[in-house]
Amino acid sequence: MDKQDQGQKRQDIRHRLRYIKSLPTLPPIASMLNKMVEDEEMTASRLGSVIEKDQVLTSKLLKMVNSSFFGFPQRIGAVSNAIVLLGFNVIKTLIVTSSIFDVMQSSDVGLWEHSLGCATAAGIFAKRHGLKNPEEVSTAGLIHDLGKVVIRAEFTKEYEEIQNMVKERGISMREAELECLGVAHPEIGGWLIKQWNLPDRLILPVIYHHNPEDATDFRDIAAIVHFSDILIRAVGFGSGGDKWVPPLDHKAWERIKMGKGEMKEVLNELDEKIIELKDFTLRMQQTKGGAGE
Amino acid sequence: MQSIPISLAAPEMILAKAVKTEDGKILCGPGVELTAELISRLSKSGVHVVVVKGHPVQMPGEKSLAEMIKELEERFAKVKDDPVLRALMRLIAEHIIEEAKT
Repeated sequence: MDKQDQGQKRQDIRHRLRYIKSLPTLPPIASMLNKMVEDEEMTASRLGSVIEKDQVLTSKLLKMVNSSFFGFPQRIGAVSNAIVLLGFNVIKTLIVTSSIFDVMQSSDVGLWEHSLGCATAAGIFAKRHGLKNPEEVSTAGLIHDLGKVVIRAEFTKEYEEIQNMVKERGISMREAELECLGVAHPEIGGWLIKQWNLPDRLILPVIYHHNPEDATDFRDIAAIVHFSDILIRAVGFGSGGDKWVPPLDHKAWERIKMGKGEMKEVLNELDEKIIELKDFTLRMQQTKGGAGE
Repeated sequence: MQSIPISLAAPEMILAKAVKTEDGKILCGPGVELTAELISRLSKSGVHVVVVKGHPVQMPGEKSLAEMIKELEERFAKVKDDPVLRALMRLIAEHIIEEAKT
């Protein structure tokens, strides 16, 4: 594909994303919540009570916030508590992405596990580096590969081609995406969550999770998501579409690097959490089958 | 140490790690010997996976240590010239070997 073709294709994709059909778009409640938070007198309990009117969403939300990657020692039983503990950005992201997670759970368990694993690792690093909102960093990890879900659901023909390229030529998914679509999953995911009005501290780490130093801001979060993606692939939990550990950005590594001893501690911590995650994904899949959602 | 689905747990196996509920409450500490009654209670509480000592169950598709190391090396095939990632690979290999011993 020459440069002009590639630019054209990129434009086409961007256009198609605006009228996306096979992926659930922003639930109406999310735009309502957006307006509500602009109100300065809004409280967590009032916001919580609006969300709690939707029972299915509430139960999904509470399952997510109580899962092991956020790692709260006590059960969070009310949405308003979740808003206070996790912050509105995280809750909003979970709301707007909950339907995408449904798609992931049923169509691509490997990618779902990879995303949960990346969120878990990102949470561990964010806490160790003393970042202010570790839950938000986990959330960035959770949605970092959203673009792959979009490609799979919306560009089925191209997705098949990409998979064949990975298999036959042994190139990474990202390389195949660039060749086939002229744009890769980080950018596609970024476009989509921009449409959802999520904050830059979530958008930038998604767009730059392969090249965190190119981000105009929030490079520390981007660096953590970048290395978490590498680590979770390195230990072989879940599947990111190809089997390879992606290249490391050394400048990003300088921001978050740790010695052998600390890294060993991280591996042990991650192991424990992966056991809980396996339990979590099994439970989620069973509830899904059981309740016929 | 082996992580197994609760359906394959059997009496006399010994827990290597605490069993927790969905809310993170500890149901059973490490070192406890499983009984039929305990397994049924854990299962009713919604527990899906337990971690037991030794390696009591031969799981279908289970990998040997050599296979796990080989797969680890394959995952790192494209980045093996990176010294930081090479060190990470060695560390994970050590970790896998240590875990297999316990």
